[in-house]
Amino acid sequence: MRPLLKFSEWQLALPLGLAFVALFLAPLMLLVGVSFFDDEKLTQPGVASWAKYYGDPFTYKVIADTLLLGVKTVCTTVLIGYPLALVYLDLPARWQRVLLFIIVMPLLLSVVVRTFAWIVVLGREGLVNQLLLSLGVISEPLRLLQTELGLVISLTQIEMPLMLLPLISVMSRLDPNLRDASAALGASRWRTLFTVIVPLSMPGLVAGCLLVFASSTTAFISQTVIGGVRLIYLPLVIWQQALIVFHWPQAAVASLSLVVSVLSVIAALSWLGRRSTGYVHG
Amino acid sequence: MTSLRSPTRRSLLAGTAALGGASLLPRVAFAKGSLIATTYPGTWEDAYRTVVMPALKKKDDIDLELAPLFAMDQVGKAKAARGAPPFDVFVLDPGPRIVALEGGLFEKFDGKKLTNLGKIPPSLVDDAGVCVGAQVVGIAYNPKKVPAPKGWKDLLVEPWVSRLGLTGFQTTFGTSSLIELSKQFGGSLTNVEPALAELKKVLPKVAAVGLPAAMPGLFQQGQCDVMYTNTQTVATLRGKGIDIAFVKPESGAIAFFTTMHIAKGTAELANAYKYLDLVVSKEIQEALTKPPYNFLPINKDAVLPPDLPMKSLDEMTGYVQHDWAKINPLRASWIEKFNKEMAK
Repeated sequence: MRPLLKFSEWQLALPLGLAFVALFLAPLMLLVGVSFFDDEKLTQPGVASWAKYYGDPFTYKVIADTLLLGVKTVCTTVLIGYPLALVYLDLPARWQRVLLFIIVMPLLLSVVVRTFAWIVVLGREGLVNQLLLSLGVISEPLRLLQTELGLVISLTQIEMPLMLLPLISVMSRLDPNLRDASAALGASRWRTLFTVIVPLSMPGLVAGCLLVFASSTTAFISQTVIGGVRLIYLPLVIWQQALIVFHWPQAAVASLSLVVSVLSVIAALSWLGRRSTGYVHG
Repeated sequence: MTSLRSPTRRSLLAGTAALGGASLLPRVAFAKGSLIATTYPGTWEDAYRTVVMPALKKKDDIDLELAPLFAMDQVGKAKAARGAPPFDVFVLDPGPRIVALEGGLFEKFDGKKLTNLGKIPPSLVDDAGVCVGAQVVGIAYNPKKVPAPKGWKDLLVEPWVSRLGLTGFQTTFGTSSLIELSKQFGGSLTNVEPALAELKKVLPKVAAVGLPAAMPGLFQQGQCDVMYTNTQTVATLRGKGIDIAFVKPESGAIAFFTTMHIAKGTAELANAYKYLDLVVSKEIQEALTKPPYNFLPINKDAVLPPDLPMKSLDEMTGYVQHDWAKINPLRASWIEKFNKEMAK
């Protein structure tokens, strides 16, 4: 029998659990509570805020656009990040450190600086346009800033560390003998990639996708500064309702919509992740 | 692993205890007096940190702490704090001022406690607070790229429309400008539909639609060459060597005043009056008009800087002014409408 005074594991988690309840769960419940008021002064309880929000077809467009932005960013970060992670694995240790530093660098810069740098790159008189104009590829500057294309390009760079770090940490733990074994058994490099490396790296890939999706769908500064306000995503709506219009019930409804829609995609991805882990080890 | 784990756990517990303990300590005042005042991020923050903060310390030995927040954020934070203000003094534009007034967020203001009261036009002090600066809004353009527009209507035709940078109803200057634009097409203070309808027609040509805070950056990068803004932004950008000029529209420039208010329930009432008295003094008002700050003063003795569309404070009273008590109730629906009309 265990001695009475010894901490069991759940007791050790208690401070974190309490902090979680006080700092996350309680405000979330407050948010749910606020959403069930009809007026800005929070005097009349009711469901009018929900009815108004979901009675407007524009809402569905905003939610769909927000989720789609996340999906597009995830796709581009996977397409660029995965090959980069493979390159990383094959590099000598010294160069791995250099590459890791380059990968982490965007995280070391303030989001405002990163965002402004993209204005300089994508602007009408920015680097890309000047290069293309001087090469004679285009005669008029391309419109890159304030377009979804420009936004996805910049988010891909900004969110890349969130994809690469979990991916690299999982992939560098793979047994190198597996690759050799696969080759020895006659599999081509592509076959080894798709039947050995990709399935084994799935937990890292799913974790990366989760982080990039959650971060890009909520990236208010990048969305509004690079995308402009003609591209309307949920964070902009929440900001307007909470801090410009002061209709907190409406802001709460929009916030909960963001939480629920992002969480449902994340839940689906985690389910996929768990399945793939089962597949690898099962 | 075990050898690593236990010190980590212990130091974590110690760290948590230290943090928790620190938060239990009472707020300690380190100087004779202290005061937390809000300021707008950017030029306002720079100016108040460089000019006002040392002056207040020198004159009254008060440690000023500045909280950089936009007007609506201040009102939001004060409302959320419900009676325990997170700062002692607000700085607000006319629209948010009314929201805060309706929310009962201010102490009653007694202008007689200001030694500089006689130097401020009487209309700029009331029992809610005191004006500390003025803003004049009109059209800014890049003279090297486009000719000078004459009025609001010009913004919607070539060569300006394809170089136009737009903002919505989030700010005072944006709302005021869109109201004036609307008036040119038969709208009024409470009817901005004509402006939105006209904007929608030319939307594919418009160079940029952005957040107000992003506009100076977009102008600087050449993303747009015409925008509506205030004289202060124009002077600041010009100070950075950017080609920019200000035009007073034919129908008149817009003027409004930025005010300061004492937060209800503050423990630093006397210090708040000392701070406000200093802010409206000739010395501070004049120092703030100089580059790179370029404020418009409200003290009658302060000399107006050159390059302004007006020569005196009195001239500004003839400019277009808007009644924000009428605008505020409509603004939420305007913002929603702007989102829908402008969305891609």
